[in-house]
Amino acid sequence: MTGVMTSPQTNPALLEVRDLAVEFATYGGTVQAVRGVSFSVEKGKTLAIVGESGCGKSVTVQSLMGLIPMPPGRITAGSARLNGVEVLGRNVINGKDIRGSQIGMIFQDPMTSLNPTMRIGDQIAEPLQVHRGYSHKRAFSEAINLLSLSKIPEAAKRARQYPFEFSGGMLQRAMIAMAIACKPSILIADEPTTALDVTIQAQILDLLQDLQAETGMAIVLITHDLGVVARVADEVAVMYAGKIVEQGSVDDIFYRSAHPYTLGLKLAMPTNDPDKQHKLNPIDGSPPDLFAPPPGCGYCQRCPFSMKICDSRPPENFEVAAQHFSRCWLHHPQARISPAAPSIPRELYVGERA
Amino acid sequence: MLWYIGKRLIQGLITVWFIATATFFAMHNVPGDPLLNERATTPTIRANLEAKYGLDQPVTTQYFIYLKNIVRGDFGISFAQENRQVNDIIREHFPVSAILGVLAVIIAAVGGILWGSLTALYRNRLPDYLIMFLVILGISVPSFVIAAISQLGIVTLNNLAGTTVLPVAGWGTIFHMLVPALVLGLSTMAYLTRLMRSSMLEIVNSDFVRTAKSKGVPPARIFARHQLRNAVLPVITVLGPSIAAITTGGFVVEIVFAIPGLGRFFVEAVQQLDYTVIMGTTVFYGTFLVFMVILVDVIYGFIDPRVRMS
Amino acid sequence: MTGIAAAEFARQASTEHAQTLSRPSLSYWQDAWIRLQSNRRALVSLFIVISLLILTLLGPVLWSVNPAAQDLDQISVPPGRDRSALVVAEYTPWVIPAGTVAELQLADTATTQSVRLQWAALPGAYGHRVYRNLYPVGPERAYGIPLGEFFDNSTLNFEDRLDLRPGTYYYSVVALAENGRPGTVAETLRVDVRRTTTVNEAVAQGLVGSAADIAVGDSLQVALHPLGTDYLGRDMLARLMEGARVSLFIGIIAPFIYVLMGVVYGAVSGFAGGKVDQVMMRFADFVVALPFLLFMILFKIAFGIGPGESGIFPMLIAMIVLLWPATARLVRGQILQIREQGYVEASKLLGAKSSYLIFRHMLPNTLGVVLVTLTFEIPRAIFTEAFLSFIGMGVAPPTPSWGSMSNEGIKTMLNTPHELIFPALLISITVLAFNLLGDGLRDALDARMRNTE
Repeated sequence: MTGVMTSPQTNPALLEVRDLAVEFATYGGTVQAVRGVSFSVEKGKTLAIVGESGCGKSVTVQSLMGLIPMPPGRITAGSARLNGVEVLGRNVINGKDIRGSQIGMIFQDPMTSLNPTMRIGDQIAEPLQVHRGYSHKRAFSEAINLLSLSKIPEAAKRARQYPFEFSGGMLQRAMIAMAIACKPSILIADEPTTALDVTIQAQILDLLQDLQAETGMAIVLITHDLGVVARVADEVAVMYAGKIVEQGSVDDIFYRSAHPYTLGLKLAMPTNDPDKQHKLNPIDGSPPDLFAPPPGCGYCQRCPFSMKICDSRPPENFEVAAQHFSRCWLHHPQARISPAAPSIPRELYVGERA
Repeated sequence: MLWYIGKRLIQGLITVWFIATATFFAMHNVPGDPLLNERATTPTIRANLEAKYGLDQPVTTQYFIYLKNIVRGDFGISFAQENRQVNDIIREHFPVSAILGVLAVIIAAVGGILWGSLTALYRNRLPDYLIMFLVILGISVPSFVIAAISQLGIVTLNNLAGTTVLPVAGWGTIFHMLVPALVLGLSTMAYLTRLMRSSMLEIVNSDFVRTAKSKGVPPARIFARHQLRNAVLPVITVLGPSIAAITTGGFVVEIVFAIPGLGRFFVEAVQQLDYTVIMGTTVFYGTFLVFMVILVDVIYGFIDPRVRMS
Repeated sequence: MTGIAAAEFARQASTEHAQTLSRPSLSYWQDAWIRLQSNRRALVSLFIVISLLILTLLGPVLWSVNPAAQDLDQISVPPGRDRSALVVAEYTPWVIPAGTVAELQLADTATTQSVRLQWAALPGAYGHRVYRNLYPVGPERAYGIPLGEFFDNSTLNFEDRLDLRPGTYYYSVVALAENGRPGTVAETLRVDVRRTTTVNEAVAQGLVGSAADIAVGDSLQVALHPLGTDYLGRDMLARLMEGARVSLFIGIIAPFIYVLMGVVYGAVSGFAGGKVDQVMMRFADFVVALPFLLFMILFKIAFGIGPGESGIFPMLIAMIVLLWPATARLVRGQILQIREQGYVEASKLLGAKSSYLIFRHMLPNTLGVVLVTLTFEIPRAIFTEAFLSFIGMGVAPPTPSWGSMSNEGIKTMLNTPHELIFPALLISITVLAFNLLGDGLRDALDARMRNTE
């Protein structure tokens, strides 16, 4: 019973991605960075894609946006539908580039992601000029509006400045202003807060939520920080070694984790509780080498609950509960009933610490 | 910005002083009496020269006389060509070299930026291979060989066409300037092409170009406003010293193409041991180069706002 | 879903392979070496460079011809020419035959010893002038070099002994008018000149063992010059090899020294920091500002070496004195950057002494940059030497260097291109090889500086 998340009751998915596979040809061999990823995003909701470095989350969204250089990179399978229209591999639909107009994107490092020799205002004005044909004057004044919308003080003065005169947090706000300039229906945020201080992080996330509330745009948020996920996500997809290993609502993921990796991530989070003293519980080992992906589950080398089958066959996507999926053999009906199979202790399931 | 320019100018003056001093002490170490070479000078002339240059006085005094003369713009009289002021020689022949040099620099810069961008945009395809092959020739074949071969080419061209399409040597019209300037600028153009290529390749893969793409900006606009502007910066940085290389490299081109430029006269002066001309030209060239570099730095400051502000 | 055996769901033994590395880790230098190997152009260049060095050192052993020896039988001969020579008796003055001839003709076999012409008086001539040309005379009547003229018609013969080379000449006899000026009436003869040598010469040049081995009328092969000879009859291969020694000596030794100086200066400056650094760099900037070529020449003169004299050591010293700042700047920049790196601070906090920091952390990390700089400075030095020699301010004849050989070659570029092609080609190949090697090293050693090809 493999499945892709859909919510028949609410709106049909704004963005629907199925079985996306991307690989890279490098001088050391072929890296299979994304190995069959499916998810969907609805209007007005935030999907968080979580995973550690190298799991393929950035490659996934960047290939949707056509930002992966295609000579070393290659999309080997999959489809992506925006409002029902296939956009994978084609960014220009009916003569219009959907990037910037229907999908916006912000990136991890605002310092390097903006043109150092161009004024901020000009860079924000650019999508307006390109997609809506605004004159420079009109676009520039709209850019100033957008800057104030992004809570940047003295927007008119700031618009005439250059990126090196902004701080990291302000640059990220400017990038957000730039990405939403043409009111796209989806905003993809690739680790927007990773390079920022914690307090600035909170502000940026609040900004994103406010903008979402005002415009109803969907947000796809890439992060490796579970704290960020807890704060803003509606739906969560956990990625590991190029595949989505668990997806569900944010409550499902946190309180009813159904995959050993998600559990491992939760247990690895440092605690803020003054009453308790714990040792950190990292997950031993490192992700598999994607030059030669393992035949079975990518996580089994590090999984405390692994079974014989995990080594040899890739697990299928089991529906653990309504709209909650886990790619783990533990949820195979036979595993549930087999006495020799490991079982996950009840406490770990329910968010308590071991 | 003004402060930046002012600071650079002062630095430039100090550098010029340094050059003049180094030149003086280098020449002063020449064994033998500069006046007592094969040229026969009458006692009165000799006495005048001695008085003027203070040749019978201690080194330090001579040095100060020398500096004083330079500040007044007086480089003295040529030993080899009597009655000819070094200043006149410079005044007459420097413009020729300057025009040649400027033309060569323009060709090198425009060509370098153009070819470099092309190779980066069409990386690993035919234009890339073709241009890089020519670049390799440009940096490995010595300039005098290229100069000689191009002269041969002109002769052949003229023979084939039956008339003088291009003058083989000499100076005067724009046609006289074309091939020499091209030859002079060639190795710098090759170097700039490589520089532009690697700069462009870096930019093409940079984060802000990725951002521009994610905004849906069309490729032509990305090239002009995002890539070119940033990729050209290292090329401009290098342009200053390149001008130096071109001006001094002009010797060969001037000799091969019989162009009456200062470089050629400098070489002749060297061959004839005409000390005043040698010294004067060295100081002059040095000063010129120092201020060219400053000029280029100032222009760079206009293009890259980060330099301006800091 | 096909049925799966129940046993498949048994718990697996502990994960003993959680921590194994999938690929062996490589040291910085091992990684660089692998990268370099995969770069074919760099490998080829490395091969060329090593071959050049070996050739330069071993060459004279394998081909021991004296580069200064002049083979007057073969002047400016391109490689591959016919080497046969006729053995003739020693030269004896010409006894002009009695009688007249009907037209311009040879009185004897034309050899490199002499060409003897006789002709009949041209109609309307008050005298004659003899010309010789390398090319056939066309309608524009370019007769070539005038060899002699006679103002009456009593002398109707001429012996040419001027710089005769084996090959084809076109002799012309032009009628002179009464005022002594050449008119339009002329006669031309094509003459093929044979190479000759005498018994004594053959013995002297070592072509035969002794005079007994050979007699007049025999044919023998003159000395082999695989790459031809230059305008003075000197073997090109031998000269090129000696020129290689000169050019490569300057081209490699000078950069080694001034790069080393630059490294020391830059490292001291960068490590000291503060005011010391400022002052040291200011001085370096001044040296950089000196116009290089001009000062090279100035240095030579200051050393008392005039134009036309060889000055290898002054050139070496001038290069060293003028070119060290660039490397110093580079190394200093690197050191400053490295100082700020986390691992240096960590090392210091662990108690490392300055000398340990410098030798164990900083210098090895600058090695990559220094190596690349060195590989680029070598071709630059070779070029500079060639260039200076070309304008007569470097190595002067008779000492060969590729630059001075090119200079000589350009003068006869049209007639004997091989004299220019070989040295120019060698310069180009050497410079190219070092450049490509430098590129390869840079790609292999420094991710930041990569050409990203």
